[in-house]
Amino acid sequence: MERAVEIRNLVKSYEEEPVLRNLELDIPPGNIFGLIGPNGAGKSTLIGVLTGLLSFEKGEVKIHGMKLAPENELEIKKLISSVLQPPLLFEQFSSLEFIEYVCEIYEVEKEGLIEKAYSLMDYFDIKDYAKIKVNKLSAGSRKKLAFVTSVLVQPKLLLLDEPFEAVDVISIERMKTIIRRLKQRGVTIIVTSHILEVVENLCDDIAILHNGYIKAYLDSISRKELQRDSNLHEIFEKYVDVERKDDIVDWL
Amino acid sequence: MFYRLLTLNWRIFISNLNRFQLLLTIGYIMFLGIMLVNLAGTAIVVVMMDSNPWMTMELPWLTPDIYTFILMVFGNAFWVMHFSFTNMRLMNIEENRKLLGFGFPLKRLAKYLTIIGFCHPVNIIYNFTWLIFLLIQVDYAFQIPVAISAVALNYVLIYSIKNRFIRVVEKRFIAVVVGFLILVFVLFQFVSLFASNSSRIFAELIPQVETVNEFLSWLPGGMLIQTVTVHYGWMNAGIIFLFSSILVGLLVIDHFNKTKEGLLNPGLKKAEEEQGGLWRFLRKVLGRNAGKYYYYVMKHPYNRLQVLTLTIIPIVYVPLLMNVEYEIAQTILIPTILAGIPVALLAMGMANMYGYENREFLLHLQFPIGLEKQLKERFLGVIILPLLVFYLITIFELLVIPEIGSALEIFVANTFFFLMFMLLFVWSSYFQYKKASYSSFSYKHPIIPQKVTFAISFLIFTMGYFVFVPLNGLEWYRLTIMGTVIVIMGVYLWQHMDVLVNLFKNRVLMRLWNEL
Repeated sequence: MERAVEIRNLVKSYEEEPVLRNLELDIPPGNIFGLIGPNGAGKSTLIGVLTGLLSFEKGEVKIHGMKLAPENELEIKKLISSVLQPPLLFEQFSSLEFIEYVCEIYEVEKEGLIEKAYSLMDYFDIKDYAKIKVNKLSAGSRKKLAFVTSVLVQPKLLLLDEPFEAVDVISIERMKTIIRRLKQRGVTIIVTSHILEVVENLCDDIAILHNGYIKAYLDSISRKELQRDSNLHEIFEKYVDVERKDDIVDWL
Repeated sequence: MFYRLLTLNWRIFISNLNRFQLLLTIGYIMFLGIMLVNLAGTAIVVVMMDSNPWMTMELPWLTPDIYTFILMVFGNAFWVMHFSFTNMRLMNIEENRKLLGFGFPLKRLAKYLTIIGFCHPVNIIYNFTWLIFLLIQVDYAFQIPVAISAVALNYVLIYSIKNRFIRVVEKRFIAVVVGFLILVFVLFQFVSLFASNSSRIFAELIPQVETVNEFLSWLPGGMLIQTVTVHYGWMNAGIIFLFSSILVGLLVIDHFNKTKEGLLNPGLKKAEEEQGGLWRFLRKVLGRNAGKYYYYVMKHPYNRLQVLTLTIIPIVYVPLLMNVEYEIAQTILIPTILAGIPVALLAMGMANMYGYENREFLLHLQFPIGLEKQLKERFLGVIILPLLVFYLITIFELLVIPEIGSALEIFVANTFFFLMFMLLFVWSSYFQYKKASYSSFSYKHPIIPQKVTFAISFLIFTMGYFVFVPLNGLEWYRLTIMGTVIVIMGVYLWQHMDVLVNLFKNRVLMRLWNEL
């Protein structure tokens, strides 16, 4: 079966300091995939590699069967949209201008686009900011705008790096609703987050990334087994070898 | 505590500078010195022109009314310039607000920041020039305190008005300022154009000048001049001084309160709807990608200022120089000024090709359009507008001032000029991006390469002498040399068009990612 993402032996370093070490990962299509791990685990770097922004030293990455290489670069980029942390927006444009610009690049059909954009902005309570310059928006609104735009370009693979950060609880629920609808349409979604409850509740498969390795891959079956006795938080602590340091601050 | 705050702000400023930027900052300080000398010098010349025997002999049309007219125009033009340069975003409130979280008392912080805000060197230069301009006109001792208090009042008033209304009326305000400046300079032009050959016209104009003077004397600049030209006696001087001082005090308190409010309300910036007319226009003319880039270039306040300068300088100086009976001025200075315009436009576009968009450039990289294609589109966009101006200027020179050279001479010289600076900008960008320092990539602070433009203006004039000085019989040698160099530069630029693209991939991209 063709995988949405297929990673073999991936190595990525920053100035000779390895961040991803011989990483192996398969993500099935139409999956909501959660990627969790402590700070500095390599989650954002992995997202960076998948978006094509970061190069890597070794290994192979395939997106929907196409190898991530210069000859396929544009074809692959057509399939992907992303929300990075912090989100990347065109600061000098209004929200609507930004959406129009990006959708035009992705050759999204123009008919009905504005209506769709307005309805999604309305859903996330940012409709009033349609003609407001992006650099005037709050952190939460910026995140929502980036999310709305990434949905409108109709990707096959949606990469969300900490999409719920700075977003209010109501909008988080609405984001989850949209993500589930996208899954129903066959879109693969990769979500990184530190809010384990949301990941647990939203994702089909979850991987724990630590020190550049996938420490655990929890698909729906293994999750059921593991979670019979413990929650995701406990599983996470187990795999990342959390060291209890409470005694260090005993002086407090 | 004030000393600590100053040190802290100074450290924030210094820590963001690399060695190259430090050198440029020293250059900027020198520029401020030149600015002070120029402004104060102009003010002294304007005031002294009627008392200099050489001037009265050379300028027979300089009647008392015309002299008053020049004084009034200078005063009002200077006032408008001061108004447009009194920067309100000086106090680094975003950074200093953080001190409140560490227990710095609000009132004290607001007080200190108000003082720091009033002490910007450009504003001090303006006020100092005002004082020189007014105090050398003083006839009576009682005018001195009145003039000083009027200058102080003028400054705090400008500060206060701008602080309150600038955001609401910014666009209209800029249009008014630009319109007024052009109007004032056009008036100057008329004066200079008629001056060279027409005392008769002045004789006819004198009655009107008196009326115009009356009007100008009630504009802000004129009123400041009145503090030293009208005899109002000690009693009135005391009242005006007292009244002005109270007003100054009240306005400073008001500004202190505004600063306090600003420190406590980080989210007060008003979100206004954007019209996006400029963006739509540039997108139409230059395309989606290059249009967006140029839109960002034009949105930057420094570039707006440069465009304003580029509009005003030729309007003022070219007609002036055309009327001066001094051949060298026409053959060297006019073509140099005109050739400098497309070069300055090019500098604006190329000074910081990734800095204007900074991190959001990463989004462009995710688009399903090749990076090379996007960057080449940008380069072409950056070149198209200056080239358009270049051709308009060349045609203008051929039609209006053919005496500066033949079509071939003008074209070759201008092309040489343009390509030489383009090469210079590519090289300077190359070295700058190789360093890839933080300030190179911030939208807020692409100032450093912008400041290079001050140095470039000197280079432009030096080059002007090489390129435009008349050589008569030797002209063909120069044309041959310039033609050869043009071909070499053209081939080099064509072959190395991807130099900045590769640099982006190898250095800049990683830096931008790390800044995420």
